[in-house]
Amino acid sequence: MTEALHSKMDTSDACDLRFGQVGIACVRVRRVDAAALCEELERRVRSAPQLFSRAAVVLDLSHLLDLPDDGTVDALLEAVRSAGMLPVGLAYGTSATEALAQRMGLPLIAKFRAAYEPAEGGSIAPPAPAPAAAPAPAPVREPIHAAPPAGPALGAQHHEGTVRSGQQVYARDRDLVVTGAIANGAEVIADGSIHVYGGLRGRAMAGAQGDEKARIFVSDFRAELVAIAGHYRVFEQIPKDLEGQAVQCWLDGEKLMIARL
Amino acid sequence: MTAEIIVVTSGKGGVGKTTTSASLATGLAMAGKKVAVIDFDVGLRNLDLIMGCERRVVYDFVNVVNGEATIKQALIKDKRHDNLFVLAASQTRDKDALTQEGVEKVLDDLSNDGFDYVVCDSPAGIEKGAHLAMYFADHAVVVVNPEVSSVRDSDRILGLLSSKTRRAERGEGAITQHLLLTRYNPGRVALGEMLSVKDVEEILGISVVGVIPESENVLAASNAGVPVILDDNSHAGQAYRDTVARILGEERPLRFTEVARKGFLQRVFGG
Ligand SMILES: Nc1ncnc2c1ncn2[C@@H]1O[C@H](COP(=O)(O)OP(=O)(O)O)[C@@H](O)[C@H]1O
Ligand SMILES: [Mg+2]
Repeated sequence: MTEALHSKMDTSDACDLRFGQVGIACVRVRRVDAAALCEELERRVRSAPQLFSRAAVVLDLSHLLDLPDDGTVDALLEAVRSAGMLPVGLAYGTSATEALAQRMGLPLIAKFRAAYEPAEGGSIAPPAPAPAAAPAPAPVREPIHAAPPAGPALGAQHHEGTVRSGQQVYARDRDLVVTGAIANGAEVIADGSIHVYGGLRGRAMAGAQGDEKARIFVSDFRAELVAIAGHYRVFEQIPKDLEGQAVQCWLDGEKLMIARL
Repeated sequence: MTAEIIVVTSGKGGVGKTTTSASLATGLAMAGKKVAVIDFDVGLRNLDLIMGCERRVVYDFVNVVNGEATIKQALIKDKRHDNLFVLAASQTRDKDALTQEGVEKVLDDLSNDGFDYVVCDSPAGIEKGAHLAMYFADHAVVVVNPEVSSVRDSDRILGLLSSKTRRAERGEGAITQHLLLTRYNPGRVALGEMLSVKDVEEILGISVVGVIPESENVLAASNAGVPVILDDNSHAGQAYRDTVARILGEERPLRFTEVARKGFLQRVFGG
């Protein structure tokens, strides 16, 4: 107890250290080809310099079948740099990615999701197939290599009961059906669509791999955030006409639409 | 016969875990069960105060875990019920003094000694101490106050209970979760200053096992070293009796959740 008091006194003024949400673009590498990567990124920077020039980016290697060796990763990082962007770390992946990041002296950017725990019996969403733009209050950014809109071929994944604060449910390559509520501070993610037959008070992210046709259906809407294919909306205040209503969310071009059912 | 382990937990501090642990343990003892209540709040011991046995603490939980005392030496027999025992927390040791193996051994010993229930009074937080208190539990009483931050923390705890306990890890079936709403003030609920029973049940998706009203008698009882469940005249005490009965399987309607009826004059003259 005295310990707690002391640490409070000692650190109260020196600084404030907290995990915030910052907008960092993610370069999802699909082919190990430094020259092609540089070319593609240069094109991006030219087309939207105010957005991408000197933008902080993380390199996401998790979509490659094998983790490239250190020399190759160096070349990829150099490609990003010479295109005019600033690589600041590697996206969280396996323990091999972690070791690689350590050898390169780069931080692993876990995005916000590594803090979540899988709900009962579920698997945690690997941070790799994160939504194109991490749902942070930052401008929406397209995935740099757009994922092919792979329609989920598998049957839906079911989750019974409530998803609690701090938990995450992830349906890879398929739809997700939740028959309970999703609490504040909980998160559900699907590569396909999401159906929630309960209150949605936390976050729901559909089309996590870029499927823009994915939708979110909720029977009692009170969400903190909804996202489809990386386009998201954060709700500090839930619009009165939507609160507690059955709604669906879909993408109309770039715009995330929400309407009562 | 193995003892049923009940953790009283919440996430947040100051919501009424220790008050509840003392009354729950006493209530179970009054129902004829052999009960031990353990204070897991190393460094912030106060269960012994509320149980009124602070002057009789010789050995504590950490002493037992370290093998410096036997469980028999450390258990303090309650002065009102001879089937009720208190195992105090250590006031001085650091928080890391408890280990998972040590806790398991103590619980096994109590089970072998013929205890029916072991009530574990959890410290606040979701760190090691709280984790140890819940890890071996069969039942959990999640104490929540009618306010948003407390409900949020309880939600987090409910999630941890369903994944971070031995039962969950071994796939032995979910631990029984009882939601106990304490420090409930119907007047402030009516004014919209506090969440209602229904709000809390809706947000957390489970129903309450009891509602303990906010009551001055709780503090008075604590100061006197008498668990409030023994205070027959207080609403809080009666609500704790109902709660223990429900945990033991009895059905009882909720009481003290409405604003007290208006006095005679107000009824006559309206308002
Ligand atoms: N129903 C109640 N009415 C009024 N005060 C209460 C009630 N329950 C608990 N308290 C008071 O709240 C404070 C914290 O209670 P305690 O049981 O020590 O909480 P915790 O163990 O969760 O930290 C104490 O001062 C206690 O007297
Ligand atoms: Mg306490």
